[in-house]
Amino acid sequence: MENIENMLKERKKTLDKVEVPEELGARLSRALNGKRALKRRNNSWKIKVATVCLAVLLVGYNLNTLAFYGKKLLGYDRVMNGTLKQLNELGKGQLIGKSHTFQNGVSVTLDGIMLDESQLLAFYTVHDPRGKVDSVNLQPLMQIDGLFGSYMMEGGQGEMNEENTEIKWIMGFEPPFFLERTLHFKFGLIDSNILEEGVISFKLDRTKAMERTLKKTIDQTFELEQTKIKFESILASPTRTVIYGSIQNILELARDQLSGERLRTNHLTVRLVANNNEVISHQGGSISTDIRGITFEQSFDALPVDLQALHITLESISVERDVNEKVDLNRDETKREIEILGQEVEINGVYESNDSTLITITTDESTVLTKVYLMIDGNKVELQNTVTNNREKLPNGPIRHTRTLHFPGKGEELTLHIERINFTEFHNITFEVPVN
Amino acid sequence: METDLLVKKAKQGDKDALVELIMLQKQEYYKLAYAFLNNKEDALDALEDMIVILYERIDRLRKVDAFYSWSKTILVNCCRGRLKRNKRIILYDSLAEETELKKNDFNQKEEHLMLDTALARLSDKQQEVIRLRYYLDLDYETISHLLKIPLGTVKSRLSTGLKKLKKFLGDEGYGKY
Repeated sequence: MENIENMLKERKKTLDKVEVPEELGARLSRALNGKRALKRRNNSWKIKVATVCLAVLLVGYNLNTLAFYGKKLLGYDRVMNGTLKQLNELGKGQLIGKSHTFQNGVSVTLDGIMLDESQLLAFYTVHDPRGKVDSVNLQPLMQIDGLFGSYMMEGGQGEMNEENTEIKWIMGFEPPFFLERTLHFKFGLIDSNILEEGVISFKLDRTKAMERTLKKTIDQTFELEQTKIKFESILASPTRTVIYGSIQNILELARDQLSGERLRTNHLTVRLVANNNEVISHQGGSISTDIRGITFEQSFDALPVDLQALHITLESISVERDVNEKVDLNRDETKREIEILGQEVEINGVYESNDSTLITITTDESTVLTKVYLMIDGNKVELQNTVTNNREKLPNGPIRHTRTLHFPGKGEELTLHIERINFTEFHNITFEVPVN
Repeated sequence: METDLLVKKAKQGDKDALVELIMLQKQEYYKLAYAFLNNKEDALDALEDMIVILYERIDRLRKVDAFYSWSKTILVNCCRGRLKRNKRIILYDSLAEETELKKNDFNQKEEHLMLDTALARLSDKQQEVIRLRYYLDLDYETISHLLKIPLGTVKSRLSTGLKKLKKFLGDEGYGKY
């Protein structure tokens, strides 16, 4: 036996000389190329799905005004949040229970829906008996068709089971027109590059729909430094509260577009406080530009049952504006301040390096020159990149951001041409919404 | 600490973090695969199989510090899968690899060939215990953990395996090969 052990040990010595191939790291990375992680109960995945779904990012999957039907949906406990769970416990959803099975055995079952004035919520299950539900290629855009039009998917989330056979989804759709009765839930599956379509039709029963808890016209307009914002209305239901408003109507939008001073709004921070101290948590929001002008929606959790007072605070608004600012620069520029739409832009210096011109600027953290050129001896040179970054927090709060703009090329006459600027206006304007 | 952070990142779906975790112990992973499969290509393939499974399942890993033992168990399973698929090639490949390593030592090469041939005649279960114990110097407990079998089973497989090896090499004699 000892002899055998010695032989094995000898053998080990040769194995010890085996070296890890250099390509190991590259091969491991390559093996992961194109692989997609499937996360259960992971926020980043939920957000990803929601983003993929549509530009309208409605993180909140809570939909309101539910029709009252008396039976609850099973199996969705982990995808639903607190309010939605309570409503489901009370049986506030319409059970459908219809399936469609594709040729490869994958099935989609519409378990139920919840409906209200602002959205239709579909609860459906994707089932793959082969245990590969994570790789089932359902078309990302679903829609519900009715007699009066199509209602697009807005966003949602799902959860896969451990066996990889099933995903339970909650998906929000635009609310159907109030006369709609029969709806068709449409989806497609791509297998081996072939698209197979599926439809589940169902009847909507609105007769027992729950009433909304609050609907008020707000009609409050605020003239801000550079922007005008109007809060139009608020709609609250048992599960969700939505504030609607506009930033520019279509005429103002058209006027600004023509004058080359167009405004784009990127972000809006709004707070909703009930009964003077209960902060209602924010679920999501969207800003869109269409025929109505620039409008926004901000959604929050449900309001408390014993609502006494309601306050809305506009904290900040981030806008991008077209400007036409030309700044002549000297090559030995040391320090200079310019002001664009009330935003300070400090030019710290202009340098030449190799065949490039470098310009260092400092602004508030939220201020970005989103479209900027350098005219070098009459030639328009595009920004190549922003080279360095430094953020400094001032004692009184604001963060100053210093960076170097890199333009390829150099010359005698330099003019910085700023065509678009993005900045955030902070306001903290609070107003009351009458609740009685 | 660094590994904990990497595991957390990998759990978030960070591919680079996952690759880095493996590369931090590349010697151990590679030798483990090599001990099973006995050749470079299969070992690399098994490692690729493993990392894909790790990536797909890492969010189920509850204890961050269990990453290495968990991933190595998965590697062992990947190796087993590969062994089943290309059982016949092993012996030939090991011969080729060794020719490079030990060009001048014909006797030793012959001895290794015999040993590998004899080893290949054992059951897979006995083989893996012997490889882990003797080629990777792992203790009984680690083997038991890695293969998910009780400590007693490790010992009994090892002892039966060694006895069989002796029988093959002794009874049938060197002459036969």
